[in-house]
Amino acid sequence: MAAVAALRAAGQRRPGLGRPGQAFWAAAGTAGKEEKVEADKAVVEKEERSEPSLICSLPRSRSYIPPMDLQSCLESHIREVFGPSLTEDWQQTLLQENRLKHRLLARLAAELGRAVPNSQLHRMRCARDVLGFYRIPMKDETKFDELVATELPPNLKITLWEQ
Amino acid sequence: MTGRGSPSRFLTAVLHNGVGRYVRQLQRLQLLFSPTAADARGARQFVEEAAQDFARQHPDVVLYVSPHSGPGPAPVLRAEYLNGTVREELIASKTSEEIVQLATKMANQSGLDIIRIRKPFHTDNPSIQGQWHPLTNKPSILTVQGPRLQPQ
Repeated sequence: MAAVAALRAAGQRRPGLGRPGQAFWAAAGTAGKEEKVEADKAVVEKEERSEPSLICSLPRSRSYIPPMDLQSCLESHIREVFGPSLTEDWQQTLLQENRLKHRLLARLAAELGRAVPNSQLHRMRCARDVLGFYRIPMKDETKFDELVATELPPNLKITLWEQ
Repeated sequence: MTGRGSPSRFLTAVLHNGVGRYVRQLQRLQLLFSPTAADARGARQFVEEAAQDFARQHPDVVLYVSPHSGPGPAPVLRAEYLNGTVREELIASKTSEEIVQLATKMANQSGLDIIRIRKPFHTDNPSIQGQWHPLTNKPSILTVQGPRLQPQ
């Protein structure tokens, strides 16, 4: 019972897998709250400013680079979550139980800043799939923005590309 | 239409181009396309892959890439030449390689009209020693007296 209650509390605090955007805004909110602690006068103002009050909110940065110690990080998380029921080769650990799978993927999303999208969840059957997924880097620039950012020859002019 | 019905011109080079330095007659190429339309896929691929190489190979041509958002006219490659001619070529549903070939073809053209050329040759000096006429190689007294006049 206590474990279930703890899990529910954890579920409420932690963002769900399908809503990584909330993690970003939650992080922005907590960052604003940290500033509040320092200055007592502008407490109310800062709280209002730090919350996303824009009509068209800024798109979150989708760029992701796999960290160098990805494999060891993943291994440690798997050992943490699965604990006793672990085979020798940790990469073959099947993510059959949904609860454990959710726990593992939520922890990885929180740590690495990239969540598995809902459409890919059915593909994450064993730890090797998760490893392969997190190895793929993501960049949030379109190919065109990348092109504009590179050094173009002086006789090639690209005008503004309105999305 | 017959030759008389349609326009024609003589073979010529713009300002004797090539006698001294060769000057490329293509001034600028403008690539007008939509970033989302389906028939502009070749144009987008051209911009991503081949535009930089083309620009480096032709440093005297300026290449403008002008995407226009929303449903617009068909994708077009507009070439402007030094004599003021503007030629537009449709590049809808063309692959990136075809667009490269087309752009190279337009870069090698002069801006003169593409109509029937009357003669496949032209020279500014048709005769070196002088064009023959009936009084060439005749005694020069004929030019004074005429052919049949008796001396007075």
